[in-house]
Amino acid sequence: MKKLAAMLAGVALAMPIAAAAQDAAGTTKKDSYRFLIVPKVVHPWFDKVNDGAQMAAAALKAQTGAEIEIVYSAPQTADVVQQVQIVESAISTRPDGIAIDLLDPSGNRGSLEAAQSQDIPLVIFDSVPPEGMQIPYIGSDFCEQAKIAARRLVEVLGGEGEVAIMMGVPTAPNHSIRAECHREVFAEHPGIKVVAEGIDNDSIETAQQQAAAIMQANPGLKGWVASDAAGPIGIGQAIVEAGKQGQVTLVGLDNLPEMLDMIRSGVADSSSASQPELQGYWSVMLLWAQATGAPVPGYLDTGNAFLTKDNLGN
Amino acid sequence: MSTEHSAQTRRPPALTLLMRNPLAGVFVALVAIFAISAVISPYFLSGYNMSVIARGLAFVGLVTIAQSSLMILGELDLSLGTIGGLCGVVSGMLMVQAGLPAPMALILALCLGLALGFLNGLLVTVLGLHSLVLTIGTAGIYGGAILVLTKGVAITGIPAGIQFLGRGDVLGVPVPFLIMLAVLAIALFLSLKTPMGRYMYAIGNNPAAARMLGIRVDRIRLLVFTLAGMLSALAGLLMVARLGTAQPSIGQTWVLAPIAAAVIGGVATTGGVGSPLGAIFGAGIIAIIENIIVLFGVSPYWQGVVSGVIVVLAISFDALSRRYLRRDGA
Repeated sequence: MKKLAAMLAGVALAMPIAAAAQDAAGTTKKDSYRFLIVPKVVHPWFDKVNDGAQMAAAALKAQTGAEIEIVYSAPQTADVVQQVQIVESAISTRPDGIAIDLLDPSGNRGSLEAAQSQDIPLVIFDSVPPEGMQIPYIGSDFCEQAKIAARRLVEVLGGEGEVAIMMGVPTAPNHSIRAECHREVFAEHPGIKVVAEGIDNDSIETAQQQAAAIMQANPGLKGWVASDAAGPIGIGQAIVEAGKQGQVTLVGLDNLPEMLDMIRSGVADSSSASQPELQGYWSVMLLWAQATGAPVPGYLDTGNAFLTKDNLGN
Repeated sequence: MSTEHSAQTRRPPALTLLMRNPLAGVFVALVAIFAISAVISPYFLSGYNMSVIARGLAFVGLVTIAQSSLMILGELDLSLGTIGGLCGVVSGMLMVQAGLPAPMALILALCLGLALGFLNGLLVTVLGLHSLVLTIGTAGIYGGAILVLTKGVAITGIPAGIQFLGRGDVLGVPVPFLIMLAVLAIALFLSLKTPMGRYMYAIGNNPAAARMLGIRVDRIRLLVFTLAGMLSALAGLLMVARLGTAQPSIGQTWVLAPIAAAVIGGVATTGGVGSPLGAIFGAGIIAIIENIIVLFGVSPYWQGVVSGVIVVLAISFDALSRRYLRRDGA
């Protein structure tokens, strides 16, 4: 009886300590974690995000010993309905966290609320959270990225000439922010005239078709900027097909292999690149931190890089 | 022969009844996929996941009912998805930009769906155009109109009052799914219990013979095209209510999926064969495939292959069961 009393006393004494350890921020532990990465669409840019996510998973596994599974689930087309369906289906599997690049914050709100109601940690990458929702988000300064590209085009053109803007998915906030910031820069230069804007819906093929048509309709066009990663690749193809290399300047966006090849071959002047690997890496890190109960920053800027023939190398 | 006869006599009456039904194959395929998913994934049978599947099925299901009805007539309307998208966008504009009360905006948008379906039907019947070819053109017009109206930007600020139609549940069952079931019941009643339904099958089998029998072929065609337009508009409106925004992309995936669902469900593209119920079973198979692909974490690069293989297996299963039925003389 005395032994039992002593045991109970011991348990009672230990409980507050255990509870404190459990409650302390960042101390919740599990043997395995499953994080879901939901990009806008199947696209090479998002493969780099996935690469970064896998790197973070490997780093966490090495440090903590926990199994970290990254489930990469992408809509086949850039369609918010498909993306919502994927997120809602994924919630059924009770993942330890979801990182998502929103196609449309308003359209995605319902599925994000469903995840929050089930206490599933969320991170938004390459996009911004729906208005009023407190979700950590990761990305580069989209506006600054676009302004770097637009300013470069103005500089190459000597402050004069007709230019065009390729928008990506107009409902995607990062794409629309970039398009708007391109316009702001061009508006500061009276000699620059925006004669056309295309919508490529993040498709290289559509970008190529749009760019070809716009260059046909505007033979005096001198330069292009884009608002998504697929856009400049399609534009570059259209420039080559139209035989306008050297006559039309392309300042691209992001660092897909085709974009880098176009800079090296001289089809494109340069590119203002976000860093998708970093976005994937920090998405997983922030999800993991939330899963352990640790506080995380509300915003994490992964920065931009300006790529030219000189700094790219071979 | 005697062996087959004895096999038939040994079979329970309920099973014999099931096998005599032309929908047996697709129904069994649906049940098999459901059962396999439930066994393989521990998450599949959760109430939340069932709700996700049912809600997802509801929208494409409405368009599938519309498309399968047209296919029974021997017609195809490739503009149904863009009718849904356009009506969704117009309803959003009426509610948000014109400030109309939500019920009035929804009714007007449904009327627009009726009108666009009627226009398709009119062009098919009056000009004698092939519906497949014509609706490639009208799909372009309606889809282009969406971009003209929205400039590709979603319309936000949809009144919260109507969002119950897309997001709400009644006794745990998603509201859009209940609406789809009600529409399915009406479609089945019309196709099985009314002269109009019999006329549809007659026209689908042989329009010339149907004319000789005194059936007003063009009137039936016009009516079904019109109703199909309205159903697509209904799907678009419900999707607006679900998302809380009028997305220009609504309806993009409602072109091939309803045709695939109908074909999986035993509706012949040549007309005169099948039922909207079979088409919904087909849509159910597609909805479950889309769900389990996510539950199993299938790589996005393999999703097309996996879903294609499952669809081929489901169709093969259906075909084999039909062959078995024929051999069995049932």
